[in-house]
Amino acid sequence: MFGELVKGLRTTLKYMFRQPVTVQYPEVKRPVRERFRGRHELKRFADGSERCIGCSLCAAACPADAILVIPAENEPDNPRSPGERYAATYEINMLRCIFCGYCEDACPTNAIVLEHQYELSFYDRRASIFTKEMLLVPEDQGHGEPPPVLKQIERRPSPPAQIDL
Amino acid sequence: MPDVTITVDGRSFSVPAGTNVVDAARMGGIAIPVFCYHPRMPAVGMCRMCLVQVGMPKLDPATRQPLMDAQGQPVIALMPKLQTGCTTPVSEGMVINTKTEEVQFAQKGVLEFLLTSHPLDCPVCDKGGECPLQNLTMEWGPGQSRFDYNDKVHFEKPVPLGDLILLDRERCILCSRCVRFQDELADDSVLGFDHRGRNWMIVSKSDPPFASKFSGNTTDICPVGALTTADFRFKARVWELSSKPGICTLCPVGCNLNFDMRHDRLMRVMPRENGAVNDIWLCDKGRFGHRFIEHESRLHAPLIRHGDHFVEASWEEALTLVAEKLAAVQSARGGSAIAGLAAPRLSNEDLYLFQRLFREQLGSNNLDHHLGSPDDGDHDDLGGLLAVGKGTNLMELGAGTTVLVFGADPEEEAPLYLLRLRALVQRGAQLFVANQRATKLERSATQALRYSVGGELALARALVRELLERGAAERIKLKHSGLDALRKQVLAQTPEQLAAAAGIAHEQIVALATALLEAEHGLIMYGAEARSAGLALIETLGALAVLSGNVGKPNSGMIALLPGGNSRGALDLGVRPDARPGYVLMPQRGLPAQQLWSAARDGHVRALWIAGLDPAACLPDAREALTAAEFVVVQELFMSETARMADVVLPAASVAERDGTYTNAERRVQRSRAARAPHGQSRPDWQIFQDVAQMLADMMVLPHPRVEAEGAKPAKAAKGAKTAKGQNEQVVTRPPEPPRWDYLTPDEVAAEIAERVPSYGGVTYEALAATGNPGVWGRQANEAVFYDGTSYENTEGIGIALPSLISTGRFTLSLSPRPAPVVKDERPLLLLAQPLAYGGDPLLRGSLLERQLAQPAIVISQSDAEKLNIQNGDRVRIVSAVGELSAAARVHADLPPGLVMVPAGLPGLCLSRIQTGPRTRVSLVKVVV
Ligand code: SF4
Ligand code: SF4
Ligand code: SF4
Ligand code: SF4
Ligand code: FES
Repeated sequence: MFGELVKGLRTTLKYMFRQPVTVQYPEVKRPVRERFRGRHELKRFADGSERCIGCSLCAAACPADAILVIPAENEPDNPRSPGERYAATYEINMLRCIFCGYCEDACPTNAIVLEHQYELSFYDRRASIFTKEMLLVPEDQGHGEPPPVLKQIERRPSPPAQIDL
Repeated sequence: MPDVTITVDGRSFSVPAGTNVVDAARMGGIAIPVFCYHPRMPAVGMCRMCLVQVGMPKLDPATRQPLMDAQGQPVIALMPKLQTGCTTPVSEGMVINTKTEEVQFAQKGVLEFLLTSHPLDCPVCDKGGECPLQNLTMEWGPGQSRFDYNDKVHFEKPVPLGDLILLDRERCILCSRCVRFQDELADDSVLGFDHRGRNWMIVSKSDPPFASKFSGNTTDICPVGALTTADFRFKARVWELSSKPGICTLCPVGCNLNFDMRHDRLMRVMPRENGAVNDIWLCDKGRFGHRFIEHESRLHAPLIRHGDHFVEASWEEALTLVAEKLAAVQSARGGSAIAGLAAPRLSNEDLYLFQRLFREQLGSNNLDHHLGSPDDGDHDDLGGLLAVGKGTNLMELGAGTTVLVFGADPEEEAPLYLLRLRALVQRGAQLFVANQRATKLERSATQALRYSVGGELALARALVRELLERGAAERIKLKHSGLDALRKQVLAQTPEQLAAAAGIAHEQIVALATALLEAEHGLIMYGAEARSAGLALIETLGALAVLSGNVGKPNSGMIALLPGGNSRGALDLGVRPDARPGYVLMPQRGLPAQQLWSAARDGHVRALWIAGLDPAACLPDAREALTAAEFVVVQELFMSETARMADVVLPAASVAERDGTYTNAERRVQRSRAARAPHGQSRPDWQIFQDVAQMLADMMVLPHPRVEAEGAKPAKAAKGAKTAKGQNEQVVTRPPEPPRWDYLTPDEVAAEIAERVPSYGGVTYEALAATGNPGVWGRQANEAVFYDGTSYENTEGIGIALPSLISTGRFTLSLSPRPAPVVKDERPLLLLAQPLAYGGDPLLRGSLLERQLAQPAIVISQSDAEKLNIQNGDRVRIVSAVGELSAAARVHADLPPGLVMVPAGLPGLCLSRIQTGPRTRVSLVKVVV
């Protein structure tokens, strides 16, 4: 009987001096893998313009119908994104999202990226809808150059589309 | 045409001779890719996408018989080069290969080459998702390009071609579909090519740019996203849209369309194919003019007047108030002190219940769908009596058809008829356009007849006389009366006298009479200008149709272009003071709209219910009457001038927010479906009528107000008793009126109409859902691949054509002539209210067309201008017997002297203030400032 007791205590003592496998969440946050798929971010180009061109391809790819994009036309003098079009409304319903990453795959400008933030809990359903303001990264965190096809600057001017009469 | 047998990819089948290879292969279920070819236009062979290998049977030079090989199969001689399928007609024994390596190499090459100068901006392109270039590239194109992506030319974009259409030069593949549509189908040569080489581009040649009422169609047939509409620009992606089938109620054509909705918002309007109505087209008014549905000024809750302002109320309160007030007026002064006007754009269900509410619940016959302005004219019964027969399909007509367009401007009154009539002419029909001024349709006419100002009746009589002289009277098979009187009248003048009065050469009259007489199918279309000449003219035109044998059979008869989308429905369903549904005349007439205002002003009519009309906007009489009336209910979409004067304003649901059926100019009943929930608290019109009727039924202990034992007299018999004998039994055996008001859906109202209105028999919602023949367009054989984005397949029913009333045998046609209306006014000029597609229609609000609304102007002829020394832009005043009106003058080179034309319905230019009747004589003075 004493033998069993020693055996048990030995196991206890052994684990006492080992590194614990649990972490003290929320004080300590566990790092995630590089390709972890968490909360989305809407990225920007290095010049601060929005990468999203409002094409809705992410919404089309989404198997959970979690994304709503309502596009609009850029003001030529004050464009939000390179090119003619931007997303006036961009919303993801995080309760619907299954974090499959299809939206990221579909995006032609790498605008929507699933990042590492995984703390997604809400007190009500409305709060699960993340708006564009919440998803968009700060202006100084852009990266990369817009592709030439999206740039207006290299375009040749058109002759007027109406013949002078 | 005889059939020929061809072999496509090893499969043999027969197709009509003369078909081109692309269409022939399609009939056998084999798709040949095309870009520039479009089945509605002649092929031009510009894009080379349709290259195929073509072989012909080898002939023995001696016997001219096909050579046979050892197996007894004909020897095929392949043409040395690939052929363009769209320009190659099939012939007997032709062998076509669409899948050989050589063909595939060519197809890949064409696509790769097209894509070298294509920006590949599909993600932001409005065509993306229904783009033939995408589809064809996926199906026939190379997976990869050998060209450098960064070598593409880029241009500034978009380039606006007018207010409505935007051009993206980079995307254009220069197929010329748009140019050809404008030149050949729409007859507005406003587009063309400019520059050359890489700078080759589409330009607009007109001023203002892209001036065409059909411009939106070019965005449908453009096989890429080069032409897109400003209306749908960046609104949504096409795969997000759900298409709700509707009917355009903006004019009497009744085009089939789809409301493309995303969630509850209208994104765009697209045509829905219906070969018998709009084919695959829509006019710009229908396509862009439906923004009123979502306009922020829509009424969203019932309003009740408190002193000089309105207070929002619940439906319960508002309807109770309406019912109580009407009941009070009814019991104090009887039903005749109540009157109702309903707009001719409401659905058949609304109109039917409106007249039931008035006739049965309120005991009033004071019903109309006119505005009550001086130029309202008479109700057009003849267009129903002699309407085109059941089974009419303009799509089938061509050679052997004669069309007479009399006193109408289809481009403005019913735009799509212009396209349809032009297509008819291209298929070999003869088109005669008789008018007193130049219209666009005239350019497409086989023969244009410009009668002198006021000479229309003489022309019509000359035609009738000619037909009578040729013994046409013997051939009339219909029940008719009054032929002798007609004969006497037209024979009183010699052909020369009549021709001189009409201002048209006698030979031309003879030619037209001959064409009508010899035609297999004859159509007579008449519009606002003809109607303004009064019933005398319309009935003479009717006699013309009858005498030439063009009534009571399919594809022949009269087409009346009436204002609004459902005037015919309003006439058929008895929203008029003199007849109940089905043109059953009543012995006790109510007040027509025209007499309503004075009756209300003098206190004979105390309560008014106005649904969807805005008489106060332009009629001073109506304003007075509305002020004088004790109680006014207005049921509207917007806070109109009339609504501002109401005691209760009820918000109505728009055409896209409710189900309903509409009867078009050809008397085809078509169903439109709800595309979204009603705006705010608005309710469908029929439901409002029913709610009030229910309350009234509970409230009033009425002796049954309906007037029983009326003879079933056709409305046409107004001139005398021309009722077919034996009709009265039918009336007596009629089922009793349904006492209850418990329709749950418009479906049940339609079923009741089908049961109780003779000519609407069988027009139930189930029957309306039939699509019949899927249409020439259809969506067989991979059509979506290359005609994507053009039009939608019609899966929701193509409507039911009603038989013309005369063919039902219940009516007798009276041919006895009316005297010509006498105008005693001595003023020198005839005032013409010019009907305009983009006139002051309040429904155009919120649309891009608002920028194109007609400007107030007084249009005068060159010679009158010279006589009075008036320049373009001078301020002029026209004076009639009752008033005067001033605006800027516009001198029109092609207007006959003696005519002044003023755009009708403009809010800033109230014609009704100076009109003395359908025809007003005026004098013109220059205002010296
Ligand atoms: S991760 Fe998947 S489910 Fe979530 S929004 Fe993207 S596509 Fe939709
Ligand atoms: S996030 Fe990407 S895929 Fe989605 S709308 Fe924006 S650009 Fe298109
Ligand atoms: S604009 Fe469209 S329809 Fe017109 S030529 Fe270019 S590609 Fe063809
Ligand atoms: S032709 Fe008339 S019915 Fe057709 S779309 Fe135009 S306005 Fe509407
Ligand atoms: S060449 Fe035949 S479709 Fe263009």
